[in-house]
Amino acid sequence: MADFHTSIIRSIGIDIGTTTTQFVLSRLTVKNMAPGTLVPRMEITDKDVIYRSKIHFTPIATNNRIDAAGLLALLHDEFEEAGVRPGEIDTGAVIITGETAKKENARAISAQVASLAGDFVVATAGGKLESIIAGKGSGAADYSRNYLCTVANIDIGGGTANIGIFHHGSAIDSCCINVGGRLLQVDPESVRIIAISQPMAAILAGMDLALSVNQRVEFADLDRICQVMATIIGECLGGNSLSELAQQLLMTEPLRHDYQIEAVMISGGVADYVYGDQGWPDPNHGLRHGDIGPLLGREIARLLPAEGHNLIRPTETIRATVIGAGARTVDVSGSTIMVDDARLPLKNIPVALPFVEAFPADSEAIREAVTRSIGSFFAEHELAPLAIGVPGSGYRSFADVQALATGLSQGLAPLHNAGFPLIVIVEADLAKVLGQSLRARNPAAAIICIDQLQVKEGDYIDIGRSIAGGTVVPVVIKSLIFETRQV
Amino acid sequence: MNTQTEKDIAANVIKELIALGFLDSTGKTTNVPPTLALPGSPAVDSEPVELLSAELIGVDNPHNLDALKIMRKATPARILMGRCGCRQKTASLLRFLADHAAAVDAVFKDLPETFLEQQKLFQVKTVVRDKDEYLMKPELGKRLDEASRAILLEKCKKNPQVQIIVVDGLSTTSIEANIGDVMPALVQGLMTMGVSVGTPFYVKYGRVGIMDDIAPLLGCEVIVEFIGERPGLITAESMSAYLAYKPTHATIEAERTVISNIHRGGTGPVEAGAHLATVVKQMLDHKAGGVKLAEQVK
Repeated sequence: MADFHTSIIRSIGIDIGTTTTQFVLSRLTVKNMAPGTLVPRMEITDKDVIYRSKIHFTPIATNNRIDAAGLLALLHDEFEEAGVRPGEIDTGAVIITGETAKKENARAISAQVASLAGDFVVATAGGKLESIIAGKGSGAADYSRNYLCTVANIDIGGGTANIGIFHHGSAIDSCCINVGGRLLQVDPESVRIIAISQPMAAILAGMDLALSVNQRVEFADLDRICQVMATIIGECLGGNSLSELAQQLLMTEPLRHDYQIEAVMISGGVADYVYGDQGWPDPNHGLRHGDIGPLLGREIARLLPAEGHNLIRPTETIRATVIGAGARTVDVSGSTIMVDDARLPLKNIPVALPFVEAFPADSEAIREAVTRSIGSFFAEHELAPLAIGVPGSGYRSFADVQALATGLSQGLAPLHNAGFPLIVIVEADLAKVLGQSLRARNPAAAIICIDQLQVKEGDYIDIGRSIAGGTVVPVVIKSLIFETRQV
Repeated sequence: MNTQTEKDIAANVIKELIALGFLDSTGKTTNVPPTLALPGSPAVDSEPVELLSAELIGVDNPHNLDALKIMRKATPARILMGRCGCRQKTASLLRFLADHAAAVDAVFKDLPETFLEQQKLFQVKTVVRDKDEYLMKPELGKRLDEASRAILLEKCKKNPQVQIIVVDGLSTTSIEANIGDVMPALVQGLMTMGVSVGTPFYVKYGRVGIMDDIAPLLGCEVIVEFIGERPGLITAESMSAYLAYKPTHATIEAERTVISNIHRGGTGPVEAGAHLATVVKQMLDHKAGGVKLAEQVK
């Protein structure tokens, strides 16, 4: 058949973490996977990482801000090293993680870096999303799919530990704890304290341990601190009631524990010291990064198996998040869709779900539900682009689709009149017929009608320009942006 | 096995068939089908049997039911049926027989008059006289009879850009199941693209190649033929759409474009109709179909 070609998407992932900043460049191959006589079905078939940047320390300015100039200069140099220009990058994600996400200018920087990197590179942050991205990058999501089990991925960086729970390939739960390897900075030579972060101060207070900057610290105390941090992670993972300190350091809701965790995977910078590299020639060697990350890793390697957890190896450690952001955030829509490329890309479009389950068969009921949804998102004269999500995957008749098109056209009229495109995201494979039905009713409207994507009320969606001969669009569905409670 | 043994077996089988009343004493088939009262077979139970859902997982005491559920969703094939010793369960056998019966029905059943009325389709036919001839002589399913040619010339819009025809093929069941959704979706799609559509109709006893007879007669550019696929045991409702650009009897198969597996469990009929509109538009733009079209849009 006709209208599809293999396409290459160049995707970038940039991770600006508490301790380190890095990026990876991936090549995603989009191919038609349906046999020749069937309607095409484009899928991402290969994800190859083609460039891995060096792992840099994140440039931090003094006044609780990220050093924007330093960061951009660093990325600029790395782009040059990789031999790419921002214009050649199709998609990807910038993620600001851990303690860095708390910096005053985090959001602005994230957006700035995203636009520097390319037209359709999205800015994200937030502990829950980070947990999921890390688990996809570490291999936890794939492991849970391949072995049909439930895996907890704990990504432990400099500032936070992000737990993502994956069941049969899907993220089902997550949480974020303010525990990490660089909350306490110690000089490896003198063993004097260089810096104590706010969450570390809380940990020390909880331990009744008085330490101050420039003070020489005992290795025994450092081990105790790491034990406390590892215990907190264990508590969050374990499902028993949380200690006061754990509650204090938890940045999100705790895990729900309505499932059985069958395996645990550790990723993030600390993971390298969980799975190996523990035979240090002298104690100071554990402090060689100027922090207590290696000590924390060693403690976790001891504690989790002791608590009965089945510790398995990730495919990526320190690069899990950046690979997750670069290669695992973007997806493609269904292959029979209708989009107005002139109005793409669209970024950060909120998603409303007017119907809880399958859409009604009556156009008036559909119109009412859509009108109600728009009303709950916007005040009357402050409309903005909104995407309507239509759940339900079963068979629908032509008459049903006509009712949906009529109801949507009427309900979305205020947005259309305000000059915004009609954006509809259908779960069932109906986007092309629905798009054409909307076109028949609104000849002049810009229509973005895509399918085979699951969205939830309150998600945000980014939609790129069509690829593969106009058959599919790349999309990034962002749940839970910037939702992390600030400690 | 030697020829003598084969002859003996054949002779025995024929003798048995005559005894059962399938054949008369001269060896010809009888007109009246005999009741299947094989010696020693139990009385036929007149109570209807309720079939278990094909989605049911029949494995007893599964180690990981969740995993089986995922596999079950991945394919409509007859997996996870469970077993009784080394044999299939009765439920599996009944499901198999029922699906086979549905497949046979799909081939032999006529399309109900009411369906054609509902879909506002009038009927013409090929030179084929009956179902047996239709099945035995595929070539005859590719030519309209004279009466039908006259009807088409009288009733149909001439020289449309697109002519849509509905053909029974090997499954009238699939036509009944899908035309009501796929046809309006295709017509609407073509209209939004500003393409003119001719008068659709139904061809009885037709094969794919019937389009080669009809397209020159009505002078259309692109012809879209919906035709029932040979039914399988997964579904009897699967339909194909064959398309060609100005086909004639000289057209070869490589010049046709096909979208197959249109049914509720495959490519949904509504979305298939919309997709077909795009394909038709491409054929009109490139004045080609089949492999040639695929090469051109590459």
